[in-house]
Amino acid sequence: MSEERTVQFGYERVSAGEKTRRVEGIFRSVADRYDLMNDLMSLGSHRLMKRMTIEMSGVRAGHTVVDLAGGTGDFAALYAPLVQPDGRVILADINAAMLEVGRDRLLDRGITNVDCCLADAEALPFGDASVNCITIGFGLRNLTDKERALSEMCRVLAPGGRLLVLEFSKPENPLIDAAYSVFQSFWPGIGRAITGDADAYRYLVESIKVHPDQKALKLMMSDAGFIDVGYENLLTGVAAIHHGRKAYGEPGGPQDGATAP
Amino acid sequence: MLDPKLLEILVCPVTKTSLVYKSDCDELWCRASGLAYPVRDDIPVMLEDEARELTAQERESLSD
Repeated sequence: MSEERTVQFGYERVSAGEKTRRVEGIFRSVADRYDLMNDLMSLGSHRLMKRMTIEMSGVRAGHTVVDLAGGTGDFAALYAPLVQPDGRVILADINAAMLEVGRDRLLDRGITNVDCCLADAEALPFGDASVNCITIGFGLRNLTDKERALSEMCRVLAPGGRLLVLEFSKPENPLIDAAYSVFQSFWPGIGRAITGDADAYRYLVESIKVHPDQKALKLMMSDAGFIDVGYENLLTGVAAIHHGRKAYGEPGGPQDGATAP
Repeated sequence: MLDPKLLEILVCPVTKTSLVYKSDCDELWCRASGLAYPVRDDIPVMLEDEARELTAQERESLSD
């Protein structure tokens, strides 16, 4: 038997490499229709959730912002006007198909101050303390090694810089939890009708169920080195925005989150 | 063409050291890791698995 580390892929345990490959395949398969599916599954609320996340970001002119696992670029489009004139937004994703959809969409909307970059959240290609804010929306769940990714995010943030994690979570109201489970049981069928890929949406449902709940994710962020960690539930916890900051006083880093290059 | 502002903060994902942009071959070279990251359609591909290993000569050319 192989002693390779296994990780959760939906309800299955698979090797770390296998998870990375399968998630890649899923997003390649659904890239074109990804936003449409998100609209349907969240009844349009994912856009509102993204706006709420941005409002908690404190991002302003001159900031460097990374939209991580940013796929189709919703966050990048919202941040782009906030960082003008001399800030920048980097749309980063590990999946080339998703990133191409995102870039084309930004160009269609006339947004030109977003740079795209293929990157692995677990091995970020950004310098230490080089970023003021990182947002990861509905992406953390799909990462193979979340602890490693969170510590990478902490590394690249400038002191005082902020991480915002928007992710499906665990409804705290049992009635809503039950109703939401029924709703989720329709997703694979809806997914097949719209993207032709039911398995991708079966994975989506399973991956939400096995994702750490609010308190577990909060602890993971603290363990990764973030301070002032907290979360806001959305729709009683169907989704949650977790937020944390990089501590000040790291040797060699700028003392103000606003002064990252 | 790679945005110079992006290049300012990009580092090698393996060694976290700075990169040199080679416009003739549209690659980002890292001396420390000896890897060359391709830039495809203006998108830098900062993935170790997609990088090419620099030849000894190429790596040497980065020494100053």
